[in-house]
Amino acid sequence: MKQKIVIIGGRDNARFLAKSLLTQKYHVTAINKDYTCCTSLAEIDGLEVIHGDGTKPYVLEDACVDQCATAIALTHRDADNLIICELCKRQFHVQKTISLVKDPEKIEFFKAMGVDAAVCAVSTVTGIIEREALKNDIAALLPLGEGRVSVADIPVSADAAISGKSLSVITFPADTVVGCIIRNGKSVIPGGDSVILPGDRLIVITSNANSTNTIQALTGNTAMPKVI
Amino acid sequence: MKTILSFKKDSKPQTLIIGCGRLGANLASRLSDAGDNVTIINDNADDFRKLSPSFGGLTFEGDGTNFELLTAAGIRNCNRVVAVTNDDTTNLMVAQIARKKFDVRQVIARINDPERGAVCEEMAIQTICPFDLASQALMAMIKDPAGPDSSKGELPL
Repeated sequence: MKQKIVIIGGRDNARFLAKSLLTQKYHVTAINKDYTCCTSLAEIDGLEVIHGDGTKPYVLEDACVDQCATAIALTHRDADNLIICELCKRQFHVQKTISLVKDPEKIEFFKAMGVDAAVCAVSTVTGIIEREALKNDIAALLPLGEGRVSVADIPVSADAAISGKSLSVITFPADTVVGCIIRNGKSVIPGGDSVILPGDRLIVITSNANSTNTIQALTGNTAMPKVI
Repeated sequence: MKTILSFKKDSKPQTLIIGCGRLGANLASRLSDAGDNVTIINDNADDFRKLSPSFGGLTFEGDGTNFELLTAAGIRNCNRVVAVTNDDTTNLMVAQIARKKFDVRQVIARINDPERGAVCEEMAIQTICPFDLASQALMAMIKDPAGPDSSKGELPL
């Protein structure tokens, strides 16, 4: 049986998300209290659309939210999203609730209130813009898992110590893995016999941000990577 | 005059009210007249005109769900928080913030749709639904048209 997902509120983001989930073969229901939004959502093939206020339990009941595995609250109001997620969780026993949050300060509060994932569009977008604006050419670090794991994109220069060598003979820091080699715009999942060539870009996953400095030296880069 | 000059801040009950509609303004004025320290938050300063001229509390304009504003309004020293904006979800969120984040002892939220109150169960948040109260009072009046309670103009609850 298809897994069911309900999306409550939202405009363009609801539409794009619904389309994307439908192509991944989920059964998707959209609830929206704006009638014009509903008509534009109804144009999407295979999407079930319910016109109503998702903060009202009987609307959620009409949408058979109790059969959904995941509920996603995308309204533009934090309070509405919180109550929607709480109703879904407590009253309709939805396994996973995801909420959009406007105020970055409330992310932790939402999680404390039982919302499984709180996504702050503002802080996420400003974070990406900041990273793009401040990024040096050497490496961009993407902290994941509450900052414990970093993903860095490191180009290999022509005079790098490791160029021309296979991964098995290169000594990387212990807590580091080369997850991917990007070569001529294509990604290669490396094995021990993969040879590093100048011009490659290494996608490095590390649990120790300082390790990237060592990798920088190995790849022939002297500038420090910027941790954002 | 003595009472006005001597501020016994700590001994007085501290009440924070979110929402200065008719209910919020009325409650704030009453509590203030009764000697409570009252602070009221509303997103629009115009509504503070609804407060009685004798209101002696503080007013803050802004979003009542904002942690900074709540802190500035002294939520940490409050004995009770009453959320009475005209929006149910805002009231419920404010109540949860007061209860869970700031550990306020008594938290009351006004909700128009009692079904929504289910989210606050097991959280020690009191909810009040004006329509339920009015409906109960009306039913009592209908059942007992010449009842002693209705003649006094009191709600027979």
